[in-house]
Amino acid sequence: MSLADPEVVGFCFRMMKLDFSGLESKAPHFDASNELVGGDGALSAAPSSFQLPITADFDGFQKNAIQMVKPAKGTTTLAFIFKEGVMVAADSRASMGGYISSQSVKKIIEINPYMLGTMAGGAADCQFWHRNLGIKCRLHELANKRRISVTGASKLLANILYSYRGMGLSVGTMIAGWDETGPGLYYVDSEGGRLKGQRFSVGSGSPYAYGVLDSGYRYDMTIEEAAELARRSIYHATFRDAASGGVASVYYVGPNGWKKLSGDDVGELHYHYYPAISSTTEQEMVEAPAA
Amino acid sequence: MECVFGLVGNGFAIVVADTSAVHSILVHKSNEDKIMVLDSHKLVAASGESGDRVQFTEYIQKNVALYQFRNGIPLTTAAAANFTRGELATALRKNPYFVNILMAGYDKETGPSLYYIDYIATLHKLEKGAFGYGAYFSLAMMDRHYHSGMSVEEAIELVDKCILEIRSRLVVAPPNFVIKIVDKDGAREYAWRESVKDTPAPTA
Amino acid sequence: MSIFEYNGSALVAMVGKNCFAIASDRRLGVQLQTIATDFQRIHKIHDRLFLGLSGLGTDTQTLYQRLVFRHKLYQLREERDMKPETFASLVSAILYEKRFGPYFCQPVIAGLSDEDKPFICTMDSIGAKELAKDFVVAGTAGESLYGACEAMFKPDMEPEELFETISQALLSSVDRDCLSGWGGHVYVV
Repeated sequence: MSLADPEVVGFCFRMMKLDFSGLESKAPHFDASNELVGGDGALSAAPSSFQLPITADFDGFQKNAIQMVKPAKGTTTLAFIFKEGVMVAADSRASMGGYISSQSVKKIIEINPYMLGTMAGGAADCQFWHRNLGIKCRLHELANKRRISVTGASKLLANILYSYRGMGLSVGTMIAGWDETGPGLYYVDSEGGRLKGQRFSVGSGSPYAYGVLDSGYRYDMTIEEAAELARRSIYHATFRDAASGGVASVYYVGPNGWKKLSGDDVGELHYHYYPAISSTTEQEMVEAPAA
Repeated sequence: MECVFGLVGNGFAIVVADTSAVHSILVHKSNEDKIMVLDSHKLVAASGESGDRVQFTEYIQKNVALYQFRNGIPLTTAAAANFTRGELATALRKNPYFVNILMAGYDKETGPSLYYIDYIATLHKLEKGAFGYGAYFSLAMMDRHYHSGMSVEEAIELVDKCILEIRSRLVVAPPNFVIKIVDKDGAREYAWRESVKDTPAPTA
Repeated sequence: MSIFEYNGSALVAMVGKNCFAIASDRRLGVQLQTIATDFQRIHKIHDRLFLGLSGLGTDTQTLYQRLVFRHKLYQLREERDMKPETFASLVSAILYEKRFGPYFCQPVIAGLSDEDKPFICTMDSIGAKELAKDFVVAGTAGESLYGACEAMFKPDMEPEELFETISQALLSSVDRDCLSGWGGHVYVV
């Protein structure tokens, strides 16, 4: 996933604090005239603020910073609604260019017992904002004595991401869960988009996953069938997309909350779906003739 | 955008190509046949820059024909594919052709075969292959539903699945496709899958 | 992405006691898209000489065809097989021919001399030879292969142990590389 270049840290030394209410309930809002310059007052709000650079060429800096932490969206995640609830699945590979930095990333984030978020794009961005969303959902629960709807939760996240639009956040996520209206599924991204749907896949492997998912999807699947379809879609995506791999984990969200159904090494799945056929040995080791 | 794909079945090979001639945002033509019948038992599906595509495939076709005239025996599919790769590789360091090729053929000795040759002249024999944006969708689809020894009916069903997926998921999906087949009886057009029809030219 | 990383590859050769092993992955990709999982990067030149070609697929094929051609001419003229050292010089010369428009591949040559003395060597894309006594690596998984080989290699291994070592080194390395993997070829001579 994306990792900040050391140079980004270098920029931080020349930074000052800016009040950033994105961490709080209200969406942040930018006004270069007072917020960029008037840093003093904002310093008191240190824990809930992000650092921004003191520079007239704000856009130029931003562009560079975006490039430095540009995330490889090397991921396959998918989710779909069916008769029994929502099925959510993802791979577990983290890559930096061609290098595999981890084969055991948790790309399905448990927001609360009834809601899951998937992770594609910047790892830090996704983790942070999902955690943030979890807090907001819990606060909503305490204030209103009822769980937040999937619609509401996804809207909270979408509003935050929209307010940071163009600043280099990279998030492509699906919010899946079960609320009073039944199963819910939304796609939310850092460009500010939010879509309601029956079936989504996000990440570099998503076209491959869609191929399998679309052809095998039926609304009236059983939980087992749906889990197998999700697993198989992830497997086929990891086969063709080099940036996806590791473990295909499958979660199910039903009326009683989410449950992790399986986590299979895609290498083992490959032999499961396509058992190795032993072929005749092309060449065998023989005693080398005496020279 | 361009979608070319193909697969090998039991005693035949099928190649499918979109039929859109596109320049930037403009579709000039939606019934451009991009699959050339190279000789009696070979098909060449090509994608890439339109000038290069036509020039190069015709050049290959004429040279394969010339070989047959001179030697009285046809080139095998493997030989034709290797010849094509050679020409593409030579051109690569001079004035490259931007064409990606799927070559399907049927030989008496080896049966049906499918070769993948990309514009930088990487040659590889495959059971199923694809080029262009359609590859993202059709490859996984073929991985999932393909099995060795498919019948023509099964293969066409799979091809239709791929076309449906491309049409429904690809933003810049081409409207029409042509399907061609090669088996022991030769190379020929199998069917068209059209969702937009050009007005037929008045017959002279 | 570098042109060397376009197709993805992992290649390694190791020396044992009166034997050598050469291994590669089997993936053919176009950047991140996997095209096939039965690609050949290791080629037999003759019974005691193997050539592995990592890097751009098209150039490995062109280069291999040219090298086989030259080796056949040599066999006809000299009525014997090439020694590994000679073959390495031939590869080097052919690569340097294209000094200003190189073949984008890094070859690994592994062979056994008439006295059963193993020879392994690699070179860069313009033919600078690098001889080694223990192991050589090439390809997009090269860095991780170095690490694995450095840790696993022991001098004077018997063929069975050598096979196990090179296989483990290859497997653990491609696990850290997106662009290589999906099976492997191992040759022990």
